[in-house]
Amino acid sequence: MAELQVAILGLLLGGVFALMASGLTLMFGVMRVVNLAHGAFILLAAYAAFFAHDLFDIDPFISLLVIIPAMFLLGVLVYATLFPRIESSPRYVEMTVLLTFGLAFVLEGLMGFAFTGIFRTANPSYATEAFLIGDLFIPKAQLFASLLSVVLLVGLWAFLRFSRNGSGVRATMQNRSAAQIVGVNVRRVSTISFGIGMALAGASGTLLSFLFPFFPSRHWQWIAILLALIVLGGLGSLKGAIVGALLLAVLSSFVSDIFGPVWAPMTFFLVLFLMLLIRPQGLFGKELRV
Amino acid sequence: MADSTVIPKDKTELLSTKPSREGWWLPMLVLVMIALVPFARFVDAYNYVLQVGIALLMWVTLTTSWNILGGYTGYISLGHNVFFGIGGYTAALLFTHFGISPFIGSVLAGFVALLLGVLAGFITLRTRGPAFIISTIALLLVTTLWFDNWEFVGGVNGMSLPLIPLPLSFVKVPFYYAMLVAAVGSIWLGYRIAHSKLGLALRAIAQDEVKAEVAGIDTRRLKITAFALSAFFPGVVGAIWGYNLSYLRPLIFFTIAVAAQMVLMAIIGGRGSVAGPVIGAFLIVGLNEVSISQFGGSELNLVITGLILVVVLLFFPMGIVGSLREAGRLPASLDWD
Repeated sequence: MAELQVAILGLLLGGVFALMASGLTLMFGVMRVVNLAHGAFILLAAYAAFFAHDLFDIDPFISLLVIIPAMFLLGVLVYATLFPRIESSPRYVEMTVLLTFGLAFVLEGLMGFAFTGIFRTANPSYATEAFLIGDLFIPKAQLFASLLSVVLLVGLWAFLRFSRNGSGVRATMQNRSAAQIVGVNVRRVSTISFGIGMALAGASGTLLSFLFPFFPSRHWQWIAILLALIVLGGLGSLKGAIVGALLLAVLSSFVSDIFGPVWAPMTFFLVLFLMLLIRPQGLFGKELRV
Repeated sequence: MADSTVIPKDKTELLSTKPSREGWWLPMLVLVMIALVPFARFVDAYNYVLQVGIALLMWVTLTTSWNILGGYTGYISLGHNVFFGIGGYTAALLFTHFGISPFIGSVLAGFVALLLGVLAGFITLRTRGPAFIISTIALLLVTTLWFDNWEFVGGVNGMSLPLIPLPLSFVKVPFYYAMLVAAVGSIWLGYRIAHSKLGLALRAIAQDEVKAEVAGIDTRRLKITAFALSAFFPGVVGAIWGYNLSYLRPLIFFTIAVAAQMVLMAIIGGRGSVAGPVIGAFLIVGLNEVSISQFGGSELNLVITGLILVVVLLFFPMGIVGSLREAGRLPASLDWD
């Protein structure tokens, strides 16, 4: 029974991890952008949700409605100012890593300056409550957060599957130049996708605000976990990111249960190294040349 | 794939491995002046000047070493301070448990870093491009977690070392010269690699790994060699720096900001050139001194570091040496390739 309990808690967190990683892998899949600032943007949204709750008593699930569109717009703005300039660079992917690396430091420094290094967590009433089903203990905060993650991921899937822009995104993920030839406006699709990726960061940051304590430099741990997840799943594969997130979240809660919570993040990195040795392209990634 | 084609370089430049001796007097003059600084015992804040010098020479070493992998080979490591920290802790443990002076221990620390470099290279170099960069970040986070929770070395609180038994006005001098030796050694190593068959092969890998492989270059072995060689001197200076501070904490060595500084210095100076990282280190260390004395806080320093990186990447991605060379205006005294 104790094992089932650990697995359920892991699975609930896995939903949130999947939401966080989906934005990151979408950005890589469509634009070949490895966004090292994704974690910092998640924390930015977490701060917004924290202060909305702390100062104005607005529930994070309400502030979502503002944070998601705001982050979408911020994403469009960031994409349009930074990325077209480096589009023709011969080492484009590497440039995106370094550029967003710099951006992450700017954000971290600004957040540290504005909000100080204090640990924060939003405390809505449900953050400390739980459902009891038999012997099983299901914390409300984790449950609500993972339900919302599932809703948003299904929404993302429906957008990609059924809308016109969505097929443009999928076409660009499959083959950028071929998509351009058949008339997809790749620049527009990229900007929209970056916005969606940021909107997903905004949603997951809002959830993070009441699930985990955070402070400005915490984003490195988050981005490292998320990056490990998307490499594990295969870079650019949404399916891989989601499957990887669920599997590893469960695995890491067992590690946390057995060895103590400080070692939980270690799971992601060690599994990543193991994966690189066995299957460097990740679970659902395309075979590397050479 | 966009990332397998690389900065177009003149083909003949790759073949010209014969160094020119022209313009060598200027860097030599600067080196002699740097070596003479500790004799200027009359200056105010003598120990402060030496401390800045020690930090400067340390950054020169770190960035020059990073450049072997990140510049010549085109594999960007965002976790290279792992070797810096491991070196520091290795020498500190040898000192506290076996009484081996960290100056001797620094050489051993370098070899420990080298061996770990082989191991880390063996795993992370299974992949390349963005996945490689990501696995170096994971390497850094694994090491941080390990040292944060390893009680034997004091965990987050770290460990302290006995002070060097010298009168106050001499305490910085041995560290200064040790760092100078490491800095010269790392530049010499970088220079020798740049002018060797290994360097040629590494540049071929940076330009087009598939073609390099087809041409019969054992890319995997050479990449691991480059990784290990670029880990050696960070281990050495980690040992010296730890003894110089007389205490070691994971936060000093393993924060990703250290890796960011290496990347920034190499890029602003000019990745892949011998002189670039040295120039970048001088610039950024100078800038950091000014910004810390003006603004104090480390938060704004992070913002400045990040902003400079973004601006340099957007407007001068080839750095000072690269941009000057392309314009044909690189003075012979800065052309160490």
